[in-house]
Amino acid sequence: MFEREEQVVERIITLLRQPVGIDPALDRRVMDEIAALRTATHSGTVWRWVAPLAGLAVAATVLVAVARSAGPSTQDLQFVLVAPQAATVSLVGDFNDWDAARTPMRPLRADGPVWSAVVPLAPGRYHYAFLVNGSRWLADPAAPAASDDGFGAPSSVVTVTGGRGT
Amino acid sequence: MGTEHMGASDADLVRRVRAGDTDAYGALVARYRDRLGRYAVHMLGDREDAEEALQDAFVRGYRSLARCDSPERFGAWLYGILVNRCRTAGARAARRRRLFVRDEGALNGTPQPVPAAGTEWDDVVRRALARLAPEYREAFLLKHVEDLEYEAMSRLTGAGISALKMRVKRAREQLQAILKEAEHV
Repeated sequence: MFEREEQVVERIITLLRQPVGIDPALDRRVMDEIAALRTATHSGTVWRWVAPLAGLAVAATVLVAVARSAGPSTQDLQFVLVAPQAATVSLVGDFNDWDAARTPMRPLRADGPVWSAVVPLAPGRYHYAFLVNGSRWLADPAAPAASDDGFGAPSSVVTVTGGRGT
Repeated sequence: MGTEHMGASDADLVRRVRAGDTDAYGALVARYRDRLGRYAVHMLGDREDAEEALQDAFVRGYRSLARCDSPERFGAWLYGILVNRCRTAGARAARRRRLFVRDEGALNGTPQPVPAAGTEWDDVVRRALARLAPEYREAFLLKHVEDLEYEAMSRLTGAGISALKMRVKRAREQLQAILKEAEHV
C-alpha cells in the first residue's frame, strides 16, 4: 500500500474519532422509559389498546389488546386490520426484521374483511406496519404513537411493558 | 443525576443500580452516551436511527443488568448490546428500503451520490463509509475508531479474529477505492 493511501485512511480515522455530540436529552428519555418499566413491573399494569367494535366497520387498521400471556415475560399481542379488498396482508415490524414473509395475517372468517395475526412480544418498544397486497403500506391510526421512519413510510409504535397479560 | 455518582467507578454504579438506586444508572448513561453514540451514528449513518438504537441499548442494558457478570467491564458489556442493536437497526433499514423500492433493477442501477466539488471532507467520508458492507464498516469502526483489540472485537461480534482482520483490511481498501473514485484522493 502506498504511503499516500495510508495517509488517506488515517485522515478518515482522525475524522471519525471526533465526538459526534449526542443530544443529552437522550439521558432523560432512557430514564423515563426505565421508570415506566419499573412502574409497570411494580403495579402489574399491562398497556393495552382495545379496538372499539363500532370502529371495525370503518377503521382502516386497529391494534387489539394483549390476548394472553405466552410466558413469564412475553405478551401475545393480536394485530387486526380491516381490509375488505385485500388479497394478502402481512404484519411487518421490528419483531420480524420487517420481513413480509414471516408474519402473514389471516382472515378471522373465510372471505371476511378482518385480518389478524398474533405475535408474542417481550417487553419493549416496537415499530410496525401492515403490508397489503404486497405493496401497500399502512400505519396503524389507532396506535398510541406513530413516527415517520425516515424512509417516507409511515409506521406505528407499540410498547409492551413488563407485566403479565391476562 | 446526583453529584455523589460523578466519581464512582462503573462497578460501584452497577452495584448501586442493582441495590435499587436507579439514578446511578443515569450516571452510567451520561458516562457512555457520547462514546457509544459515536459508534451508532457512524454505523447507521443516520442520527435518529442511531439515537433510537442507543436508547434501546441503554434500556436493554438496564433490564439485563443482572446478567452483567463483570460490573467493572460494564462499558464493554454495553458495547456488545449496542453492536447487536445496530445490526438489527441496520438490517431493518435495509429491509424497509427494499420494500419501498419495488424495482430492484432501478435500485441497483442507481449511481451512488458523488460528492460535488467543494463538498466538505466529512460528508465525503460519511458517504464512503455508508457504501461499505455492514460487516466491514462494523469491523473498521471497532478497530480504528473505537480502538479495540481484535480479541475484544471477537467477543463483541462473535466473529473469528482472522475474519475480523480480513474485514478491516477490505474496509481500508474499499475506502481508498471509493475516495479515489470520488476524486478526492
